[in-house]
Amino acid sequence: MIEFKNVSKVYSSNGAHALDNVTLSIAKGEFVFIVGASGAGKSTFLKLIMREEQPTSGSITVNDMFLERLPRRKVPYLRRTMGIVFQDFRLISKMTVYENVAFAMRCVGKKGSTIKKRVPYILDLVGLSDKANDHPNELSGGEQQRVSLARALVNNPSMIIADEPTGNVDPEMSYEIIELLSEINKRGTTVLVVTHEHDLVKSFGKRVINIESGRVVADSADEEYIAI
Amino acid sequence: MSSFGYLIKEGFKNLFNNRMMSLASIGVLVSCLVLTGSAVWLTVNVTNSVDSVSDSNVTKVFLDDDMDRLHAVAIGQDLLAVDHVTEVQFIEKDEAMEGYREQLGDEIFQNMTGKGNPFPYSYSITVDAETMQNVDQYDKVVEELKQVKLVRNGEELGGVASVNSHRELAQKLTTLSSLVTMMSFWIILALAVISLFIIANTIRMTMFSHRFEISIMKSVGATNTFVRIPFIIEGAVIGLISAIVSVGILYILSNVLIGAIKDILPFKLTSFTDIMWYVAGSFAAAGIVVGILGSLMSISRFLKREGNEILGW
Repeated sequence: MIEFKNVSKVYSSNGAHALDNVTLSIAKGEFVFIVGASGAGKSTFLKLIMREEQPTSGSITVNDMFLERLPRRKVPYLRRTMGIVFQDFRLISKMTVYENVAFAMRCVGKKGSTIKKRVPYILDLVGLSDKANDHPNELSGGEQQRVSLARALVNNPSMIIADEPTGNVDPEMSYEIIELLSEINKRGTTVLVVTHEHDLVKSFGKRVINIESGRVVADSADEEYIAI
Repeated sequence: MSSFGYLIKEGFKNLFNNRMMSLASIGVLVSCLVLTGSAVWLTVNVTNSVDSVSDSNVTKVFLDDDMDRLHAVAIGQDLLAVDHVTEVQFIEKDEAMEGYREQLGDEIFQNMTGKGNPFPYSYSITVDAETMQNVDQYDKVVEELKQVKLVRNGEELGGVASVNSHRELAQKLTTLSSLVTMMSFWIILALAVISLFIIANTIRMTMFSHRFEISIMKSVGATNTFVRIPFIIEGAVIGLISAIVSVGILYILSNVLIGAIKDILPFKLTSFTDIMWYVAGSFAAAGIVVGILGSLMSISRFLKREGNEILGW
């Protein structure tokens, strides 16, 4: 599903080595936490998967697509195989909850009739059926993050990438968000969660990849892994 | 609703949400199009008046008022015998009046039909090209034409009363026409470029105000074409509305202007109505094309950005 082979990324603007010779593999259906300090290279790792950035060297395969050979016009089709959840939710304030979720379907050219069936189903899945007509500013942080998750899920991606999804919600709600992602993972969707909340990571007992200074310093999938 | 229907709706929504900027663009664009339309109308009128005078470039020979038709036709041979004259064409009285009627309108000629026709018989004379280029030689030909008389059996049966040549005026007007056409071309080109940048700027501002939505669209896998279409529609609609408004303004202005000056001009102006549909079609097409090009100019650079770059973070 995701394969990094000797991937390095140096930003030409400031010469920073964001990733240094990273090799790892994430299989279909896995639930993986990516942890590391701020500036460790976690965001670059996600940007490379989403093809927002290109590696300086090495090769990346995501959902059977070789990213270094992927033409620009095909990038949207790569992104349709993944749902992105942002730390700051990125919901459109003038749209209702329903419209925010439907917007993701509109963007990939889904028909109105399909949208009408699918959006209520997804809102029910994340427990927000009764908030469909509310605007984001009427919701709590946890609820907004669930809308963001619903939007990520609505196009039925094979992978969910969550970038610090609990960064702007209270600890109790953080646990619920990861619980929800775990439920989604049980239905067969690969889940990748970037976080720096070690306690949360420990309580779920999933695979953990630790990135420091652009290198994978620990991976719980390795035999010699020592818990952080 | 189909995707395309949705995108069209979004385009109109952008236009409305961004209405102050849209109105400003339409205002500037209308000014450009009105100036362009005026330049076109001026060119058409100058060209028409030049054509009208150029008709007179074929030297006109007017015969004595009292000459009867038979003699008037017969004098044609004598006119053709003048050196450097290559062609003579007889003009009936009614035909002459019709020519002026077209230029000056019907009202003046209402009671001048049949025997009331004040126009004499006349001829259109064509001289060879060499004479047309040589003023002295041409003047000599004109003098000779003035002397032509129809004499049969020693009896003088009438002759040329006057010779009318607008050669110099025609030359000056032809130069003026070329100048007006050339100036109009550059004015139109400059205004088209200005319009292009105005629309591009409006769309850029719309895109900037929609950068958040665009970043989400790209993250969920919208193609660049999908992102572009509402902005292209917005540009095209701005162009189209401007075209319609400017044609309306030109129609009103030209009617007011013609009403005010028709009595003092020696020739009839071409009404804007005569060219309105060509102008409307061209403006609509140009407005849409400029709108689309302006949108593409702003969007392409914007769409190359990724993720947080779109948001300027």
